[in-house]
Amino acid sequence: MDQSLIRNFCIIAHIDHGKSTLADRLIELTGAMRSDEIREQVLDSMDLERERGITIKAKAIRLDYRATDGSIYRLNLIDTPGHVDFSYEVSRTLAACEGAVLVIDATQGIQAQTLANIYLAMEHNLEIIPVLNKIDLPAAEPDRVLEEIDTVLGYSGDSVLMMSAKTGVGVPRLLEEIVKKVTPPVGNVNRPLRALIFDSHYDSYKGVIAYVRVTDGHLSKGDELRLMGQGTEMEVLEVGCFAPDQLPVKVLSAGDVGYVATGLKSVSECRVGDTVTTIESGANDPLIGYRPAKPMVFAGIYPTEADAYQELRESMEKLSLNDASLSYEPESSPLLGHGFRCGFLGLLHLDIVRERLEREFALSLVVTAPGVRYIIHKTDEQVVSVVNPSELPSPTEIEIIEEPWVSISVITPSKFIGALMELIMDSGGVYKRTEYLGHVLLGELGQRVQLEYEMPLRSMLTTFYDQLKSRSQGYASLDYELIGYKDAKLIKLDVLVNGLLVDAFSRIVPPDKAHDVGKMMVAKLKEVIPRQLFQVPIQAAVGSRIVARADIPAMRKDVLAKCYGGDVTRKRKLLEKQKEGKKRMKHIGQVEVPKEAFLGVLKLGA
Amino acid sequence: MSDAIALYIHFPFCLRKCNYCSFVSYQDKEDDISTYLQAMNREVELRTNGEQVRSIYLGGGTPSLLSPWQIYDVLDIIQSSFLVIHGAEVTLEANPGTIDRHYLEEIRKLGINRLSLGVQSLDDDTLSILGRIHTVVEARDAIEFARDVGFTNVNVDLIYGVPGQSLDNWNWVIEDTIALEPDHISLYPLTLEDGLPLTLAIENEQVPPLDSDIAADQYELAEDCLESSGYIHYEISNWARSGKECSHNMVYWCGGAYIGIGVAAHSYMHGRRCANTSDLDLYLESFYKNRLPIFDLDEYIGRELQVSETIILGLRLSDGIDLHHASDRFGIDLIKRYNRQICELTSLGLLECRGERVALTRRGRLLGNQVFWRFLPDGELGTNE
Repeated sequence: MDQSLIRNFCIIAHIDHGKSTLADRLIELTGAMRSDEIREQVLDSMDLERERGITIKAKAIRLDYRATDGSIYRLNLIDTPGHVDFSYEVSRTLAACEGAVLVIDATQGIQAQTLANIYLAMEHNLEIIPVLNKIDLPAAEPDRVLEEIDTVLGYSGDSVLMMSAKTGVGVPRLLEEIVKKVTPPVGNVNRPLRALIFDSHYDSYKGVIAYVRVTDGHLSKGDELRLMGQGTEMEVLEVGCFAPDQLPVKVLSAGDVGYVATGLKSVSECRVGDTVTTIESGANDPLIGYRPAKPMVFAGIYPTEADAYQELRESMEKLSLNDASLSYEPESSPLLGHGFRCGFLGLLHLDIVRERLEREFALSLVVTAPGVRYIIHKTDEQVVSVVNPSELPSPTEIEIIEEPWVSISVITPSKFIGALMELIMDSGGVYKRTEYLGHVLLGELGQRVQLEYEMPLRSMLTTFYDQLKSRSQGYASLDYELIGYKDAKLIKLDVLVNGLLVDAFSRIVPPDKAHDVGKMMVAKLKEVIPRQLFQVPIQAAVGSRIVARADIPAMRKDVLAKCYGGDVTRKRKLLEKQKEGKKRMKHIGQVEVPKEAFLGVLKLGA
Repeated sequence: MSDAIALYIHFPFCLRKCNYCSFVSYQDKEDDISTYLQAMNREVELRTNGEQVRSIYLGGGTPSLLSPWQIYDVLDIIQSSFLVIHGAEVTLEANPGTIDRHYLEEIRKLGINRLSLGVQSLDDDTLSILGRIHTVVEARDAIEFARDVGFTNVNVDLIYGVPGQSLDNWNWVIEDTIALEPDHISLYPLTLEDGLPLTLAIENEQVPPLDSDIAADQYELAEDCLESSGYIHYEISNWARSGKECSHNMVYWCGGAYIGIGVAAHSYMHGRRCANTSDLDLYLESFYKNRLPIFDLDEYIGRELQVSETIILGLRLSDGIDLHHASDRFGIDLIKRYNRQICELTSLGLLECRGERVALTRRGRLLGNQVFWRFLPDGELGTNE
């Protein structure tokens, strides 16, 4: 196809601002699918995505559009993940496009991820088409939001399209704008092949299917290819486009978006962001610098029943075929048995992996409190990294601890600034900047403000986001970006139950928080561990120093009511139930703890 | 123990169901009473093999709703179907809100020689939380009337661990009860199942939650008061003047045979335990069809279960159980078999050895379940036939 008739674009938006609904409408209007074929939000094909209203993996679709100038254009829409955990994938998607439709919710205005995404799009020199969505809703405040867009992003009111993706108002005009404003691809079909992998998934028949944007040259079945970053070599089994299901074609040429069936066994051999070229007389330079996405957040994943370990292992293997960002290593804990220490892009990624394991593989899991990767410079000059708190070397062996920091951006009505600043400072945040967005007052909520801070990633992993939401009555939005490692003053806090150290409860905390966190954990354990036949002390300790303690008094009464009219069997059944219950207990030395209680404490934000 | 059995008669009707009650009893079904009595008559006739009977216990429900004539009929059919031995203990459970002096006089003449009064408390606030139909005054009167008409074996049931009842308040209840000089006192902990009115009241925070520490304090206080007043603590929940131990209940605890007549009644004969249906309509239907009611439960108590039940029930008694004796009976060295459990429980202070006997300690009596389940057999239990 003539490259001048191709438009490659994506849609960027904050969560829930209407990206997927808009995609549905574009598909419907261009006739790629009839409206009755469109299951709501076609691009979100995983159940989980549909439920959570987020797009986890980028997908692509080809739309053939007859513009008012009479020509038929080929619009390749590439869907992007909307969540900050996947910002690396977002940036790969952007690199495959020439334009971006920026969707802003007319009821909410600019949010933290709107800004993060637009800055990324600008870095990639994309043509940006700003759109104000949901103008049909009674709560829409187009004037206020337009003013905000003008002040913050510099797009004057008349350059912003007014739209309702739900009703379809404004969508035909958007199609015209895409054709007019987004520049066609400029690659050269005669140059050596260069194609960017912006997504991939594993197919049990065809192996890894790589989603590619061809920049130079062309691709067809039988070609022998090489990944410039990873060095992986493969033969092309099939090429095709998305219409919207995979449709095999003879050739993909410069400017095209499509897929390549590679026969590879795992997506980790064919990672997003790499450049594909031919083995013979290939290109010299990749399209963009390639780096694999690095896990940032770590947690232990264990089967609830110890004998399900094998099943968990197989499930992790299968899941990771489709998720190159997920890392996992076997680990074992005296209390939890065998499991894995897993690395994730962020908390949402962790949640998704957990849910997929539980849902798609029907596993019951124990997930330990999430943590980060610490870099420890030891006194013997060794440098080690620690992702499991119980593996932190003793203080005398530690010269320096480094931990990852993030810069965060919070957008909130000014009314909540005080409460949010307090939360961020309390989480170890360092103030950077405050900026007012627009000049319109939102009644008693005040003006909208962007706060910028830097803080340890560690502090974000427990209740931070929930607190941010609750302290701002749900108004604040958050975006963050890793900025690197910094020296940290941290210690290991242990929990002892009846004198026994329970490794799964160990946490890494700043020294000044040890007392508070210890007190909270001890209190929580006291609440959930049932009384035993003897008194059970629960202690939180830093080294040999006890920082908090609570005692669970011994059980005093466990008697059945009246034995009625010789109903011995019923009493016996109750005792049998009690005996059965004992089998389901986790043992910490002599102390029996119901599994649920145990899990409750592991999840505890501390 | 002789071969004579205990006979239990269940009368599942109440004027009003109490807030904590999960027993089989019905309110607003008085119209069924006469049919029910006929059905029980028929069951007695179908079931009897002319066994010797050492005790008769009319429980409920509220058997004191029966008129003296009706009681006469019940005792009459029993006496003509079984060999009731001379001097047999014949107990009627009575709700203090349903009886007067005349009534007690009448039933005593019919041969009821033990009266078990469902007093539950001598505190009106507690009675109202429990949803009892009687007052403290009625309860006191009932005991007085029983004495007046010549009952020499009167039991008082009390409930401890009632939400909101303080230790002081309980102390008065115990002292007041002792002052009334009953021959026998039973103390039961309040135990609630899901969905009962009192359970719901607690869930809705209309009533404070159960507090097991206060309940434990109350039990221990009662133990001290009753002992110093000369009552013998012969079983976890039971105290009696010397010689007034309940012979009917002793049959249960000693593994003796018993026949239960009526809805939901349990029987244990020849190593087989069964329970009649707990559905009143199904029970009455069997009467119309002139056959025995269907069973909710029918299990053979094999040797392993017998061993367990012997120990568990035996440990309820203050004298505990003679393991040597039991070992001989079953031909198993029980001391060796349960050595681990006995050592563990002794070191936890729940069990004590007294020569050949093992018995619950004072602490163990409040933690009976923790002791008992350790003596259950492993693996597959009761076999249904």
